[in-house]
Amino acid sequence: MKPFDIVIVGGGGAGLYAAMEAMKTNPALNIAVLSKVYPNRSHTSAAQGGANAALANKAKDDSVEMHIFDTIKGSDYLADQDAVDVLCSEAPKIIRELENIGTPWSRMEDNTIAQRPFGGAGRPRCCYCADKTGHTILQTLYEQCLKTGVLFFNEYFALNLSVHGSRSRGLIAMNMKTGKVEAFPAKTVIFATGGYAKMYWNRSSNAAGNTGDGQAIAYRAGIPMKDMEFVQFHPTGLRKSGLLVTEGARGEGGYLINKDGERFMARYAKEKMELGPRDLVSRSIETEILEGRGFDSPAGKYIHLDLRHLGADLIKSRLPQIREMSLNFEGVDPIEEPIPIRPTAHYSMGGIDTDNFGRTVMEGVYAAGECACVSVHGANRLGGNSLLDILVFGRIAGHTAAEEAGKFEPGSISEEELRESVEEIRTRMQPSGHYERYGALREELGQTLALNVGIFRESSLLHKGIQDIAELKERFKKVRVFDSSDVFNTNLQQVLELKNMLDLAETVAVGALAREESRGSHTRIDFPVRDDEKWHKHTLATLVDGKAIPGEKPVTMGRYELQERTY
Amino acid sequence: MTEIIDQHQEGKRDVTFRVFRFNPQVDSKPYFDDYTISAERGITVLRSLNYIKEHVDATLSFRAFCQAGICGSCGMRVNGISKLACTSQVWDELDKCREPGIIRVEPLRSLPMIKDLIVDMDPLVDKMTRYSNWIDSTMPLADMGKKEFLISEEEFQRYDKATDCILCASCVSECSILRANKEYVSPAVLLKSYRMNVDSRDGIHDLRLAELVKDHGVWDCTHCYRCQESCVKSIPIMEAIHAIREDALESRGPRDTSGAKHAEAFMEDIEKKGKLVEATLPIRTNGVVWTLRNLLPMAMKMIVKRRTPPPPPLVKSAKGIKVFRAMFREMTEHVKQDHLKSHKK
Ligand SMILES: Cc1cc2nc3c(=O)[nH]c(=O)nc-3n(C[C@H](O)[C@H](O)[C@H](O)COP(=O)(O)OP(=O)(O)OC[C@H]3O[C@@H](n4cnc5c(N)ncnc54)[C@H](O)[C@@H]3O)c2cc1C
Ligand code: SF4
Ligand code: SF4
Ligand code: FES
Repeated sequence: MKPFDIVIVGGGGAGLYAAMEAMKTNPALNIAVLSKVYPNRSHTSAAQGGANAALANKAKDDSVEMHIFDTIKGSDYLADQDAVDVLCSEAPKIIRELENIGTPWSRMEDNTIAQRPFGGAGRPRCCYCADKTGHTILQTLYEQCLKTGVLFFNEYFALNLSVHGSRSRGLIAMNMKTGKVEAFPAKTVIFATGGYAKMYWNRSSNAAGNTGDGQAIAYRAGIPMKDMEFVQFHPTGLRKSGLLVTEGARGEGGYLINKDGERFMARYAKEKMELGPRDLVSRSIETEILEGRGFDSPAGKYIHLDLRHLGADLIKSRLPQIREMSLNFEGVDPIEEPIPIRPTAHYSMGGIDTDNFGRTVMEGVYAAGECACVSVHGANRLGGNSLLDILVFGRIAGHTAAEEAGKFEPGSISEEELRESVEEIRTRMQPSGHYERYGALREELGQTLALNVGIFRESSLLHKGIQDIAELKERFKKVRVFDSSDVFNTNLQQVLELKNMLDLAETVAVGALAREESRGSHTRIDFPVRDDEKWHKHTLATLVDGKAIPGEKPVTMGRYELQERTY
Repeated sequence: MTEIIDQHQEGKRDVTFRVFRFNPQVDSKPYFDDYTISAERGITVLRSLNYIKEHVDATLSFRAFCQAGICGSCGMRVNGISKLACTSQVWDELDKCREPGIIRVEPLRSLPMIKDLIVDMDPLVDKMTRYSNWIDSTMPLADMGKKEFLISEEEFQRYDKATDCILCASCVSECSILRANKEYVSPAVLLKSYRMNVDSRDGIHDLRLAELVKDHGVWDCTHCYRCQESCVKSIPIMEAIHAIREDALESRGPRDTSGAKHAEAFMEDIEKKGKLVEATLPIRTNGVVWTLRNLLPMAMKMIVKRRTPPPPPLVKSAKGIKVFRAMFREMTEHVKQDHLKSHKK
C-alpha cells in the first residue's frame, strides 16, 4: 500500500468527490482517504438547503451566465472571476453526474430535477432533496467510494504534514482506535477538512469538529491562508448551542422581539421587517443586544423569535422541524413560548490559498472544499454555492492530483519525524503543577471572537481580540490531557483541535484588523464603506518563524466591472 | 413583557448519570460510574456528557459531532433504549428512569466495544459493502453528467423515507436477531438494500437480491418490529423488509430457503382455498411463533397489495389454535395499518 499516490485528508463532500474522481482518472493509483469521523458523519450532511446549478429545469431562461453574475455580485466583487466561471459552468454537469449515480434529488412534475429559489439568486436554481440535500449527496458519494474500493482510514486524526524543502512527503496521523501515530508517505496530499467557523464555539452552527485542522496543518507547514477575515453569520442560531433555525421560521411570518417587547426590525428595515437579507438581520439583532435590549441568561444574551401568533396548526404543519429543534435543543415549545436566538457563525469563506486546479504553493499539496479558498465566494457566500464549491473543486483537485502524482517522487517519512509528532503529544499528557482546562479556553476563545471579531468589528475591539488570542495561546501551553489511555483518547483529540483553532483565530483577527473597509460579511464600524481603491484584493497570512506575516494577492477580474452591491 | 425574561433560567434539577465505563487497556470488565450534576431545562443528554467530560471526568469517552441529530455519531442507550444523545432531553429522560433521578447511559449493543460509550462501526460498513449498498448506474459512462434520468414522484416516494437513514445503528443495537447472530445482515443494511433495489437507475438488483436471500439475510428477520420502533428517524423499516421478501418471492420464486417456500405455500393457501390447510403449514416444522412472525405479515401484505381481501382463517389444528387465531387477527390489523400508513406518506 505505502507509499501512497494520493492521501486525501477529509471524507466530506470535497474529499469523497476527489477520491471518486482520482480513482476514475487512474484506477491503478494507490489512494487513501483519512477522516477523523466516519465519512458519512462529515459536516456536509448538515446542509439542508441545496446546491445551485443553472439546469434551467424550473426557470427556462436561466443560464450559466446569470449564475456567474449572481455569484460575483454576492461575493461583493472579491471572488476571482475565472474561478467563478469554472464553478458555474461545471455545475450542471456535477449535479447530473450525482443524479446518475443515485442522489435522490426531489423532482418536478416533468420528472426532471427540482429547483427552488434561494437567497441572492436571480432564478430558482437551487437543486435539493427535501431538507436533506447535503446528507443524501454525502451518502451517495460514500456509497460510490465503497463501490470502487477506495481505501478508508476512518477515525484517523491528521497531525502534521511532512515537509522537505518546497514539497511534502506525506502526512502524519494518529489512529484514534489505537492511539498510534502513523506515517502516510505519499506523492500528493489533498486537504479537504472543512471549515473553521467552530472557533466561535457555542456561537457557531457548525459541528464540533469543524475546527480548521487541515488549514492549521497547512499553515504550520508554511502554506498561506487567504481571506481568513471573512466569516459568514446566520441571524438565527439557538441561544445555547448556536444551532441553526432555518429561514423558514421568518418566512412563515415569525417576529423578532427584544426585551421591551418591540418588533425591532422596524428600526432597520421598515418594509421587509424580519425578511431582510441575512447580513442585515444579523447586524440588527446584534445591535439590539449591544444596546442593551436583549434578554439575559447564563448562556449569554439573546432575543426572541416569536411564532406563537402563527398558531399551533401552522407551526405543526409548516414548521415541524423548527419546532423539533427548539424542543430538542432549548426545551422550548414555540407554540407556547418564543424561541431564544442570536446570530451564529456559519461558514468560513477564507482558507488554504489554491489556484483553480486545487494546487497550493507547495508542490504535491492540494486543497478543496470549505477548507480551501479558490476563491469563488469572495467576501460573502451565496446560499447553495458551498455544496457546489466542494463538489466541483473536490472533483478538480482529485483529477489534478491523479494526473500529477506521477511527476513526484514517492515520499518517505523518517522515524525521527514520527517521533517528533509523538513527543509533542507525550508532553501534553505529562502532568504539570499548574494547569489550564481546555474546555474553559475553548469557550473563552468563542466568546472573545464573537465579541471582538464578530459581526461588528472595530480597531480597538480587534486589538483586544488579538491580545486575548495571544493570551489564550500562552495559557494553552499549560493545558494538560487527563486521559492517559491510548484507545480513543477524545480528550487528547479535543486539545489538539483547540490548538488548531487558536492558530487560525489569530489569522482571522489579524486579517480583520488589516482590512480597513466594509465588504460582504466583514463590517468595520470605523470603516463603514467598501474601499475598492485600497482593498479590492485578497489578504494572505503566512506563518514565518512563528509569526503571521501578512501578504496580498490581486483579484482576477473578467467580464464584470466593479459595481455597488444592492438588492 | 419582563416576566418572560426569567423563564429560561427557572428550574434546575439534580440528575445522576450512571455511565457504562470500559477501557480495554486497564479494565478486565466493564463497570458503572455515577456523575451527579445540576441540569437546567432544555439540556440534552449529550450536553450533560460534554459537561461531565469538561468539568468532572475528562476520561469519559463518547462520540459526538453535529450535536443536531443529523450525523448519527452519538447513538447510545439511554435508560435502556438506543437513541441519539444529542436529541434526548434530560428532563424527559427523568420521567423514564427505573430508579428515580438516575439516568443510565450505555453503549449500543451488537457492535464490538471499543471504550466506554464507543463501539466499532466497521462491521456495519462491511455489511454495506457485502450487500452492495450502492447504485450501480445504468447510465453509460460516456453519457455521465450529460443527461438526467427521468424519475417520477411515485418512484421518489418509494425511497424518500429510506434515504433519511443516518446510520446511527440504534436499530442495529435493538435488533433481536443480531444479538444472537452477529452475521445477520442488520436492519439498517436491509433498509439501504431495499432503497437501492427500488431505484430504477440501478443495474444490479438481481445480484443484490441473490445475496440478500442467502444465510444471515432477509429470511432471518423475526418481524419483532424493534428496529422500526427504535428508529431515530421514524423510518418504516419493516416496510422495506417485507418489500424485499415479496420481491424475492416474486422474482426468484420459492426456491431460496425453507422460509421462502413456506411463505409461498402459506399465501396460496389463504388466497386460493380461503383457509389454512394444516398439512401445508410450516407450523409443525417451525412452531406457531415462528410461523406467525415470519410468514403471516408478509403473506397478508401480499394479499392486501393484490387487493384480495383476506378470508377468515379456518385452522383445524388443535394445538395452540386459540393463540393462533388471536394473533392472526392482530397481525392482519397490524399489516393493514402499516400498509395504509405507508400509502398516506
Ligand atoms: C447548518 C449548515 C447548513 C448548511 N447548508 C448549506 C446549503 O444549504 N447549501 C450549501 O451549499 N452549503 C450549506 N452549508 C455549507 C456546507 O455544508 C459546507 O460548506 C460543506 O459541506 C463543507 O464540505 P467539505 O467537504 O469541505 O467539509 P466537511 O463536510 O466538513 O468534511 C470535512 C472532513 O474532514 C475531516 N477532517 C477534519 N479534520 C480532520 C483531521 N484532523 N484529520 C482527519 N480528518 C479530518 C472530517 O472528518 C470530515 O470528513 C451549510 C453549513 C451548515 C453548518
Ligand atoms: S424486525 Fe427483523 S430486523 Fe427488525 S429488529 Fe426484529 S429481527 Fe431485527
Ligand atoms: S434505520 Fe433509523 S435507527 Fe437504523 S441506522 Fe438508520 S436512522 Fe438509525
Ligand atoms: S452528534 Fe450528530 S447525531 Fe448526535
